[in-house]
Amino acid sequence: MRTPLRALVIRYAFVILACAVVIYPLLWMITMAFKPFPEWTTGTGMTWFPKQPTLQNFEFVIFGHAQGLVVSLDRGIVGPLAASLITSICGTALAVVTGTLSSYAVARFGIMSLLPLSVLQLRLFPPLAVMIPVMVMWAFIGAVDTWWGLSLIYGIVTLPFAFWLMKTFFDEVPVEIEDAARVSGCSYWRVFYRITLPIVKPGLATCALFVFILNWSDYLLALLLTQKNWVTLPIYMSTLTSPMGGQMYGMKAALGLIAAIPPVVFGLLIQKHLVRGLTFGALKQ
Amino acid sequence: MTDATAETITDTPAEPASAKANRRSRGYWAGVAHDSRKLGFWFVAPAVLLLLFIVVFPLAMQLYLSLTWWTPLDGVRWYRAYESFNSGDNYARLLTDGALWAALGRTVLLMAIAVPAQFLLGLGLAYLFMEQFVGRKFFYSILLTPMMIVPAVVGLIFFLLFQGTGPVNDTLRLPTSFAWLTDVHRAMLAVIIADTWQWTPLMFLILLAGMLGVPADQLTAGRLLGASNWQNFCKIVLPRMKSVIAIALVLRSVECFKIFDVIFVMTKGGPGVETETISLFLYKKTFADLDWSYVAAIGLTILFSLSLIAARGLSYAAKRKG
Amino acid sequence: MTSIQINNVTKRFGEFVAVDDLTLDITEGEFVALLGPSGCGKTTTMNMIAGLEDPSEGSISFDGSDLSGMRLQDRNIGFVFQNYAIFTHLTVYKNLAYGLEVRRVARSEVDRKSRAMAERMGLFDRLDESAGRLSVNEMQKLAIGRSAIVEPRVFLLDEPLSNLDASFRAYMRAELKVLQREFGQTMIYVTHDQIEAMSLADKIAIIDKGRLMQYGAALEVYNDPRNRFVANFVGSPRMNLLDGDLKHEAGRLRLVLAGGAEIPLAGQAAADFGQAKSTQKGSLGIRPQHIYAGERRSADDMEMKGHVEQIERVGPTRLAYLQVQETRFLSVDEQDRLRPGDEIAFYLTAEKSLAFDMATGDRLGGRLQ
Repeated sequence: MRTPLRALVIRYAFVILACAVVIYPLLWMITMAFKPFPEWTTGTGMTWFPKQPTLQNFEFVIFGHAQGLVVSLDRGIVGPLAASLITSICGTALAVVTGTLSSYAVARFGIMSLLPLSVLQLRLFPPLAVMIPVMVMWAFIGAVDTWWGLSLIYGIVTLPFAFWLMKTFFDEVPVEIEDAARVSGCSYWRVFYRITLPIVKPGLATCALFVFILNWSDYLLALLLTQKNWVTLPIYMSTLTSPMGGQMYGMKAALGLIAAIPPVVFGLLIQKHLVRGLTFGALKQ
Repeated sequence: MTDATAETITDTPAEPASAKANRRSRGYWAGVAHDSRKLGFWFVAPAVLLLLFIVVFPLAMQLYLSLTWWTPLDGVRWYRAYESFNSGDNYARLLTDGALWAALGRTVLLMAIAVPAQFLLGLGLAYLFMEQFVGRKFFYSILLTPMMIVPAVVGLIFFLLFQGTGPVNDTLRLPTSFAWLTDVHRAMLAVIIADTWQWTPLMFLILLAGMLGVPADQLTAGRLLGASNWQNFCKIVLPRMKSVIAIALVLRSVECFKIFDVIFVMTKGGPGVETETISLFLYKKTFADLDWSYVAAIGLTILFSLSLIAARGLSYAAKRKG
Repeated sequence: MTSIQINNVTKRFGEFVAVDDLTLDITEGEFVALLGPSGCGKTTTMNMIAGLEDPSEGSISFDGSDLSGMRLQDRNIGFVFQNYAIFTHLTVYKNLAYGLEVRRVARSEVDRKSRAMAERMGLFDRLDESAGRLSVNEMQKLAIGRSAIVEPRVFLLDEPLSNLDASFRAYMRAELKVLQREFGQTMIYVTHDQIEAMSLADKIAIIDKGRLMQYGAALEVYNDPRNRFVANFVGSPRMNLLDGDLKHEAGRLRLVLAGGAEIPLAGQAAADFGQAKSTQKGSLGIRPQHIYAGERRSADDMEMKGHVEQIERVGPTRLAYLQVQETRFLSVDEQDRLRPGDEIAFYLTAEKSLAFDMATGDRLGGRLQ
């Protein structure tokens, strides 16, 4: 079918407009990250691209001080970056392992038919409406402001995604394959470990990346359950102020850029499965 | 799905002697591995434990605390909160708490504008992407990026954009004194714009998946019967996407109701309380006022109401399906 | 009623040539089958007629007016998909009414026509049911009715019978023929099943590798294939095609087959091969019913000696596989006399044998009487 030229032009016009709207804010942050202090806020003659591009902002957030800047910080990005990585990875591991095992049991053995819905419920409520007892509990068991306390809650709140995502992958594995292995004498555990798990390996990787993005993106839970010791990247970014109280636009933009990169890269990697992940398997692409 | 009971019954007589011997020698775990029910139990155990840990005990505690005046300021341990038992005063208070209802109203307002806007924009974009065209995959990837960006970073980005000296005023040829985030009327608009920027891609993604699920043959058949693309869209595509649309709207409404990060970074609920949604209100009550038992009461009320709505919704959906 | 002109149409998908310089004239009111093996370009041809694809070169016209550039919805074409493309989210009634509703036909008119069409297609009882609940057979009827209701200029059917069960297929074959006469529209029917094509169509266009091999009435294609491909493709059981080297010796012509067997060419066959002096390798085509054992029936018939390898019964006919050295002849055993292992002499009817040039595949000699 030949598409009329007019329709084509209209389509491209809209698509490009939409992309421009998407890129506009991103571009501002990206260029801001490379702008030196005098260009952050210019009343008149604002420019999109830095006149004197600099890596000063990155230098500052990485080391806590930068050449030519009088201000310095008592901590650089390394601590928060490591904190974000450790908690995201541990939380992801917890969610993926428990989610995989339980979704397999539900998908194959048909036990706990209530589990899928009760797991889903975890995503329904605003965290702040249910966090009071959690904060009390966390304080009680000494989990506040620790790596494991935050990992634990991450693992729990992302469990629904892991559970549903893995369930859709298990549902796609033909039961016949497992039956064949069972007939030839494999135990249930062996079938799961040696047959099914290798088959869903790509799904497992997708699930891990997906859950990692969610954990990495968290702001609220870290705000509620950590204080001074365990500072994750988003918290660090939003609380960054110079000792003199001035805004540090360039540094914040640099931090935002660093924080934004992993999820965008991972997200593009698992693009094909984003739909089923985000809709709890209700929809596939 | 394997029927666990049937499996065990038929398994026993057919079992070869060697397997039996093998099982005996390796003890309990070998037995577990041969019984789907037992193995299933071990498989769901961690998830169920986590759920119990995060649902049952906290729920009981929340109910308990919500009936007291307890706050961490008292220096009284939480389990001795009964000392300040107040027989439901918190619940009576929330009914007449203007600030709470105002926050709820703002949340609903935000949802009522942002979700339909995202839906319509997403639908339009998905419509553009229904057919193949050069660069489709590339544009698709670009359009998806916003939803992958950490919400706090999105907050930061729009915080930067809406500064008086920022690019928005510059692009719109407005004076640098034109305030967004500190203006009572425009702060909410800025928040809605940020949320829409981030989450229209999700709508787009879901709706496009739904649209592509409509068999191409049916659309061609429609065209050949004399329908224009638009008629096909209204008469075939949209009716077929009913459930997908429902999923997208529910998903976004739930998330929109929970909105926190973006607003917290952009305006902290300000100016005044102009962008204070329910989550920000609860945050302020928790950390600024340390009014924990009251927050627990509000939380439980929200929990109860949302569960009620969800149950109604689910039974409605089940009825529609059956 | 509409006539269709396909003029020198070529369709390329990248490097691949799906349809190669195809020219076809379809008279108004005709029932034409596009026949060929899968991947031969017949579906592409039909898609181009419908406007689902644009020709890379050449043009397609209805009643002499060029279609290129005309929008799909304006072409007024009835198209029955292989999988029917029923709107499963709508009722049977809404499916039938679709084409009228999008044309903004008055509601009473829509109602009258839809009901009449449902009556005609035997779907009247099911008008208010969801179309997704219909059986495959009913979907087929609905698909035809839905297309017919808008009185299209031409009717295109893409393998419409391939999803049906055997008994309904036979019924539908007859029904299609009746419907075509009722509707009176030009109908084009794509199939890979030559029996279907032979029994339904007024004319058959046989296509291979995007090229038109032959276009003619069913019997003409059967009796007078223009080349080796058509001879091989049309007819069941298949025609014997005996490939070998032509040897001239003392005024006599022989066809030496690969396994060493020789056919002493005589009569019409000898004349046809003899005409084309340049032909080195030839192929003799003869239908199984024109090979017989027993008494010689004509002086020209070509005698072969061999043994009966195998007997096979297909319905009422017995097929005999006759082995001569390494070559196997398939014949219809009319007298029901042959037994496996018999050493016999059999005859190839010279009048009915066809000569082909192996190099070009073209038919040698003239028309069959």
